[in-house]
Amino acid sequence: MGETFRDSMGWLHTWAGVVLGALLFAIFWMGSLSVFDREIDRWMMPETRLAASDRPSWIPLLDAARRLAPDAPSWGFVLPNERVPVVRFYFRNSAGDISFRDFEPRSGALLPDAGTLAGTRFIFPFHYSLHIRWGDLGYWLVGLTGMAMLALLVSGVVIHRRIFADFFTFRPGRKLPRSSLDLHNLTGVLALPFHFVITISGLIIFFAIYFPGVIGSVYNGDHAAFKRDAFGSFQREAAGAPGSLASLDRMVTEATRIWGGAPPYLVRVWRPGNDNATVEMRRTLARSVDMNVDIVHFDAATGSVLRTHTASPVVHLQRFIAGLHFIQFEHWTLRWIYFVLGLSGCAMIATGYICWLETRRKRHAARGLAGVRIVEGLTVGSVAGIVIATLSFFVANRLLPHGASLAGYDRAALEVWIFYLVWLASFAHGWVRPGHAWREQCWSIAGLAPLAVVLNAVTTGDHLGRTLTEGAWAIAGMDLMLLAGAGVAALTAWRLQKRRPTTTGPSARRTLEAAE
Amino acid sequence: MSGWPLFIGILTLAYLGWGLLALGQERHWRRVAGTTSRTPFLILLLRGLGGVALAASFAIALLSDGPSFGTLLWVTMLSLSAIAVAFTLAWRPGWLRPLAACLAWTAIGERASRSSPGRRRCS
Repeated sequence: MGETFRDSMGWLHTWAGVVLGALLFAIFWMGSLSVFDREIDRWMMPETRLAASDRPSWIPLLDAARRLAPDAPSWGFVLPNERVPVVRFYFRNSAGDISFRDFEPRSGALLPDAGTLAGTRFIFPFHYSLHIRWGDLGYWLVGLTGMAMLALLVSGVVIHRRIFADFFTFRPGRKLPRSSLDLHNLTGVLALPFHFVITISGLIIFFAIYFPGVIGSVYNGDHAAFKRDAFGSFQREAAGAPGSLASLDRMVTEATRIWGGAPPYLVRVWRPGNDNATVEMRRTLARSVDMNVDIVHFDAATGSVLRTHTASPVVHLQRFIAGLHFIQFEHWTLRWIYFVLGLSGCAMIATGYICWLETRRKRHAARGLAGVRIVEGLTVGSVAGIVIATLSFFVANRLLPHGASLAGYDRAALEVWIFYLVWLASFAHGWVRPGHAWREQCWSIAGLAPLAVVLNAVTTGDHLGRTLTEGAWAIAGMDLMLLAGAGVAALTAWRLQKRRPTTTGPSARRTLEAAE
Repeated sequence: MSGWPLFIGILTLAYLGWGLLALGQERHWRRVAGTTSRTPFLILLLRGLGGVALAASFAIALLSDGPSFGTLLWVTMLSLSAIAVAFTLAWRPGWLRPLAACLAWTAIGERASRSSPGRRRCS
């Protein structure tokens, strides 16, 4: 702690940043990728690279549902949209877990299991839960890091000495401590509205986990009552007699009429096959920033409307803030802006670490402290390492054969194992080879990313020449981003190579730094 | 989703606005124009026009994308275009030279038209 308020804030900023920066980078990195989670799904699940279609064929889909989930208390279909060309059928299996299967919408044909968690089931959940299953520990760790991020943003503004004078200042030609601090300030200050809103909205999304007592005290612990009020959940008791299901097409048309032309994105049947079965439809999230809670419940047998629900003002506000974070709306410009601003957050965290390291390197070396060496390994692993791990996840996806399994782990689990093992190895590499790890890991990125592009072309035949001319933008965009990333990594590695201290004397090094 | 011409309008005006505001700061003006001599009127002009350009980009964003998408688009575009201006100043300051020259010329014209010493002090 320091003597003045600014000193205290500086202390807080430094130590919260060093301790939680690695986790923060992982959350920002996975969040930035989650912006394109459906596109990553298409790339990693070649079986689902279908032409977009609007109306699903219900008869084969319902047959498949009855076959796959004969005893499920409920099942649902997530309808295809601009980004997802398949119908996703989900149900609770006999073990009580929620299972998914994907269908071709027009023929209703069951698609083979893709054998991967891909974007929506690995990268996206990693972003908010770190895949830690023990209790809600992952959510709490992310929540703690989010709170720390808010503190870092506020303390960062407080300790910034010349926030307006240095508003546009970036001096890449200056020495590393200065130029990295410039870039840290630049991305921190200029993208501050984004960083602040994305962090606080992330925390507000999980209010029910971070403030469980509120629901408990307002509803006397009756969570079902809360869900009815806030999210319009509605179920009828099962009757003894079997029942029928009226035309889902007609119910979709009716729901679309009620919502003024907006179609449903979800069709769910409660107590299917029972006399008291109901059909729940949820309105598409594609057309506005806020995530509406508009629901229509139908009587399954007659197709008549039983109940409609819409968000109360408070829920509406919460869903607006959540919508700012989730970007489930269809707006490609904003999607790309979110992606770039997310990466700017990654750059801010990485340059913060580099600044910490470079201002202490000489002092720690002179005093024989291990701090710089420890944090440098941590930085290499958490910045370059997670990128390498992600690329290994993509490469493994294209290399592992269908139905692969090892030591009881199936293909999807093996991909995840490869991700974590490579990530761990990158930390080890960072600690074992200080001074070389940055360069070597950048070269690894520059090699792995084009390898993923080549493997995609070889294993699926969807090379860039074809995807670009046929307008398969999800695949083409993923390939182009991989190549762009490889370019940036190669440039970085090449520059790090140029300034290797072993080959240049002090004066030559100064010249090189000035040239940059 | 906005049409491309309107989106390019939002982008250009946001970039221009930040560029003018940056030129209103002495350090960046010196780097782009090579001189330090600026009249108070020129500084005012740079900052005023910069603000107007940013406001105009907001107006186009509201027009093309409506209140909620438009505001979100504008706020996020502000961050991106400001970073783009900072990178331009760092690596390609020459790109902003025509803008600086144009504004300096406007300001000189204004100063010549009212050259009485008493009024000059006021501006």
